[in-house]
Amino acid sequence: MTARINLMIRLALRNLLRQVRRSILTALALIIGGALLMFSVSLGDGTHEDWIESAVRMGSGHIALQAPGFYQSRKIDDRLSEQARRAAEEALRSLEVARHVVNAVPRLTTDGLASSPNGARPAQIMGVDPVAEVGYSILDDKLAEGRYLESDDRLAAYVGTGLAEALQLRVGARLVVTAQDSDGEIAGQLVRVVGIFKSGVPEIDQAVIHIPLTTAGSWLGVGDDITTLAVLLDSSYRMSEVTSVLRRLLAGPIGDGELALLGWREAMPELDAAVKVDNLGNYMFQGVTFGIIALAIVNTILMAVLHRRREFGLLQAMGLSPRETGALVLIEGVILTALSGLVGIGLGIFVTWLFWRNGLDISFTWDADWSFSGVVLDPIIVPMFRLSRIAQGLVFILFIGAIASLYPAYRAARIDVAEAMKFDR
Amino acid sequence: MTEPLPGNSSPRHPAVRTEDVWKIFEQEPEDVPAVRGVTLTIEPGEFVAMAGPSGSGKTTLLNLIGGLTRPTRGKVWVAGRDVTAMSNRELARLRLEHVGFVFQAYNLLPVLTALENAEFPLLLRGMDDAERAKRVGPLFERTGLEGLEDRRPGKLSGGQQQRVAVIRAVAGSPALVLADEPTANLDSVASEQLLEMMEELNHGLGTTFVFATHDPRVMEMSHRLIRLVDGAVASDEPREPHPPR
Repeated sequence: MTARINLMIRLALRNLLRQVRRSILTALALIIGGALLMFSVSLGDGTHEDWIESAVRMGSGHIALQAPGFYQSRKIDDRLSEQARRAAEEALRSLEVARHVVNAVPRLTTDGLASSPNGARPAQIMGVDPVAEVGYSILDDKLAEGRYLESDDRLAAYVGTGLAEALQLRVGARLVVTAQDSDGEIAGQLVRVVGIFKSGVPEIDQAVIHIPLTTAGSWLGVGDDITTLAVLLDSSYRMSEVTSVLRRLLAGPIGDGELALLGWREAMPELDAAVKVDNLGNYMFQGVTFGIIALAIVNTILMAVLHRRREFGLLQAMGLSPRETGALVLIEGVILTALSGLVGIGLGIFVTWLFWRNGLDISFTWDADWSFSGVVLDPIIVPMFRLSRIAQGLVFILFIGAIASLYPAYRAARIDVAEAMKFDR
Repeated sequence: MTEPLPGNSSPRHPAVRTEDVWKIFEQEPEDVPAVRGVTLTIEPGEFVAMAGPSGSGKTTLLNLIGGLTRPTRGKVWVAGRDVTAMSNRELARLRLEHVGFVFQAYNLLPVLTALENAEFPLLLRGMDDAERAKRVGPLFERTGLEGLEDRRPGKLSGGQQQRVAVIRAVAGSPALVLADEPTANLDSVASEQLLEMMEELNHGLGTTFVFATHDPRVMEMSHRLIRLVDGAVASDEPREPHPPR
């Protein structure tokens, strides 16, 4: 059996080399398709990772560890218990998880009201650790005026441009934040604006206020308690792996109803949907592209099969079974596809690498900040390399090659040997 | 003559037996019977020519014997095996192990060398290098093709290509070699060389040869001449073979 397979592979290779021009033309379609596939997938992954990175850094991380009811209620009553927080911090320090965690920051978040002598606006007030937050959030980089919070700040606030404009706030201006405290009473806290940011996301710029975590704790009467432990991972693709480890390590507090794990997909369903829709669009485009390529392959291989009818007749006359004759055509198709796929994907990686260094700048296509679902779109797209995508690309191209070779293989297998060997043919 | 190679012909069974074999091609406006009720027996070691004008059914009968096409009705046995009852896979195996073919032209695979072409059925059988060399080497020597082993078919003359095809047909020691107009595209010298070679192999290896031909030289060399007319056997006579002139 091995000898037969070796022989068929040898025959297939020589047949491919016999019609070099035809093989190269067929291969070219696959090479270009493979390169396009690799480039577009890497670009798509890079774009999505950028969206997710932007959203999770401005939001509650790739994974948010919270009390079970907090996501719905947004009330400080639903804050993490001391025991649950300790368990969560310990789990984050475990080797399996820590190697993928870039940062984990505590937050005390509540919905409330921000008011100034010029009016009042609903606000999302976040008590943050200023030092930890700098390594986590990108809001401190979006400074429009003043500065970000510092470790020794007490009655300081960092507000968005939208809110600052609505309440006519400038750096140094006073602002009162009001929310329900731990006793259920409405409590106010006077703070002074130390900085104003412009994230580019209207929902954030009009609502988010950062104040020091200690200030928030004493204002709301919760001491050192927090509502969220926001976890930033090295890649969004690690989420399911890390989540499953965390679920295992935190099975106790989760089972006791003291802790819930919220992934960015659940926390930001609109973003999740946007990524899925964009992926679907990409897959459909790639499907259509490869559908056309597959038709070209079918046509070329089928022409080759019809041209070589006598040869297939001869092979069967010598003892190759119809199935093996079909397999020979399939092997030719798969070898051609595999080699072309490798070259195409290599080319795609090279092109992607060219753009990976500096990113693909598409800023010429827009003249204002674009944002959606809490994400600011970056006009410089940096493609993302993933080994799994290379493997998927190769398997996909091989699959297309095999499918495209099936019909020609069937025709070769079904050849009428006596008819094929007629001399006048 | 060098030492003969062992043959597969079984003395217990005829090399070929057909019984009321018909082949009718369905065509418009009416069906065409290419072979009509042929019954014959060919014993192991025979050197048989089937002659007849174009359209007499020679090639179709040869294809029926070799299992390349199936009869409309009737039975065919090769080396005692009922060809008509075999699956495609079994037919492929029968051809690989018991039947060698030599066609009129385009006999060789263009991507393989002369040696690889000749060894092809042996490679398919999974025979090792040493055994293949033992079988094919002497045949190249015996047929004057020594030194041409590494040439591709395109670099061989028509006669040399046909000789390679014959080596391929007999190298596996089949019970039967079916040759369809093997000399039709050759000049007289090449034809005679080829026929001498086949007769020598017939004598030396005991291989049964059945030709479809209208070449008088083949008929003259045959030990038995079956004449076909309109798909039926018109005459079937043993004859005294004459060596090629």
